[in-house]
Amino acid sequence: MTKVMTTKEAISQFVNDNDFLFIGGYVCRPPFAAIHEIIRQGKKNLTITRSNAADDFDMLIGAGLVRRFIGTFLSLGVYGLGRCFRRSIEKGIPHKIEVEEYTNLSLPMMLMAGSFGMPFVPVRDMVGTDLMNIKSFMGENKFKLIDSPFDGKPTLLVPALNPDVAIIHVQQADKFGNAQMWGIGGDCKVGANAAKKVIVSCERIVDRDVIGKDPSRTIVPSFKVVAVVEEPFGAHPGYTPGFYDTDFGFGYQYQQASNTVEGFHAFLKEWVYDIPDRKAYTQHYIQKFGYGPFKKLEAAFDYSFPVSYAY
Amino acid sequence: MSAHPNGYIKPELMACCGAREIKNHHVVIVGTGFPAMSANIAKHTHAPDAILMQESGVVDARPKRPALSVGDPCLNPGAAMVGNLLDIMGMFLQAGWVDVGFLSGSQVDKFGNINTTAIGDYEHPKTRLPGSGGANPIGSLAKKTLIIALHDKRRLAERVDFITTPGYIDGNGARERWGLPANTGPECIITNKAILRFDKTTGEACLESYHPGHSIDEIRENTPWDLKILENVHETEPPTERELEVIRKILDPHRMISIYEKRGYV
Repeated sequence: MTKVMTTKEAISQFVNDNDFLFIGGYVCRPPFAAIHEIIRQGKKNLTITRSNAADDFDMLIGAGLVRRFIGTFLSLGVYGLGRCFRRSIEKGIPHKIEVEEYTNLSLPMMLMAGSFGMPFVPVRDMVGTDLMNIKSFMGENKFKLIDSPFDGKPTLLVPALNPDVAIIHVQQADKFGNAQMWGIGGDCKVGANAAKKVIVSCERIVDRDVIGKDPSRTIVPSFKVVAVVEEPFGAHPGYTPGFYDTDFGFGYQYQQASNTVEGFHAFLKEWVYDIPDRKAYTQHYIQKFGYGPFKKLEAAFDYSFPVSYAY
Repeated sequence: MSAHPNGYIKPELMACCGAREIKNHHVVIVGTGFPAMSANIAKHTHAPDAILMQESGVVDARPKRPALSVGDPCLNPGAAMVGNLLDIMGMFLQAGWVDVGFLSGSQVDKFGNINTTAIGDYEHPKTRLPGSGGANPIGSLAKKTLIIALHDKRRLAERVDFITTPGYIDGNGARERWGLPANTGPECIITNKAILRFDKTTGEACLESYHPGHSIDEIRENTPWDLKILENVHETEPPTERELEVIRKILDPHRMISIYEKRGYV
């Protein structure tokens, strides 16, 4: 059964107010087309998670759609601190989000535990720091410090996470949802597989036979996937290996715009609210900056040697 | 430009100080900027077999431009391995394979604890910072952590506002009491004025060397705790000709490292 639909349909059908979302894209392959659609549809009171969050999470927070953030980090990379994140925490604009703080070891381990059906998982970080002294909405269930039943040593346990929906962007998928990715993985695989439903956004939809030619690249199999959306340029201003580079110039524009509340809303109006979909977004990009700068982001071809799975 | 004898700038000296802490065959987790520069200087000089990795999942990258983030596109082609976050943070770092980690912090205290979460009260911060990211697990689990910091009374502290990443916590064996692995923890703080090395027993950072042009008195005045002076205190060795050649000809022909001068690393 084909699961191919538009991003608008996927977000409208499978993302609800109050949902807990894993949004893939640790620097690599952020599902920006879907994030913009969530903002357009105004999904509210979301809980969002990913290790190393960036401009995409900052935008959702600034748009007022986030109630809770299970996070490790949020910044604009070379462009510094997340402006909307700061305004939310420091000034309550548009409201103060609740943050449960973990690390880039403990959080992906919690997602891994979720993906493996484990109730919790021991981790060897966080102890002795103020990360143990601050507990937000997870309260006493943020962690448990126990004496190991094996050797009696202090051992930190953190709970499994099972998001309602995972949204990821990958290079290619078939119409059934078998999703293939290459390049820096971040916490995409564990995050997607921990979730109850997965929305796959991809650069191209390929035939099932193409998937079968190199099946080791599949990170999520079809039965976990509820929607497949073809969104070329769908991670912009982030990058997709083999397709296009990070758009650092655009990242700077977001930083400049999000310096003020007014600038941020003008940015959202121009790039999200007044834009119906990613195709129009790409057209707007080319109209505004020219075909040259758009083309310049395009990746060069440098194919690997083909692999053979024959026997 | 600098007034130093062979024309080096302070960020170059600091990068070399980091490089000298890396031994051949070390496994090193790097970020961007100083750490990447330091590790690459080491690889091109005394530690050709050091293995660099980025927490995002990359081992032994061969970038053709300086990486601007730990997940930068240029880290993909040419790497020995591109996996995921848990490969690096779990399978390598947590499992004890990482020798050296590099960290910087908005605030660092005398026990090497680092704050990257919030300046001021956590609930009502003056400045909300990004958070731990990979810093806490690196500081918890790498055998040696090198800390880069600006040397003034705002960045260095008797006690950080918030311990995001553990150094020696309260000192005197606190890491072990919390269950952190033995023989891990901060090795030194490399500042723009000095190298402060940790006394592994007390957990305190002590003055080991002062960079050319700086005095012990000046450094003590700019350190917010009663800084102990190691017996063998000496002037930091300036960058060698070979180190400078590696930086300027191979690693950073466009002199991107000079942006650190604008950030106060002078």
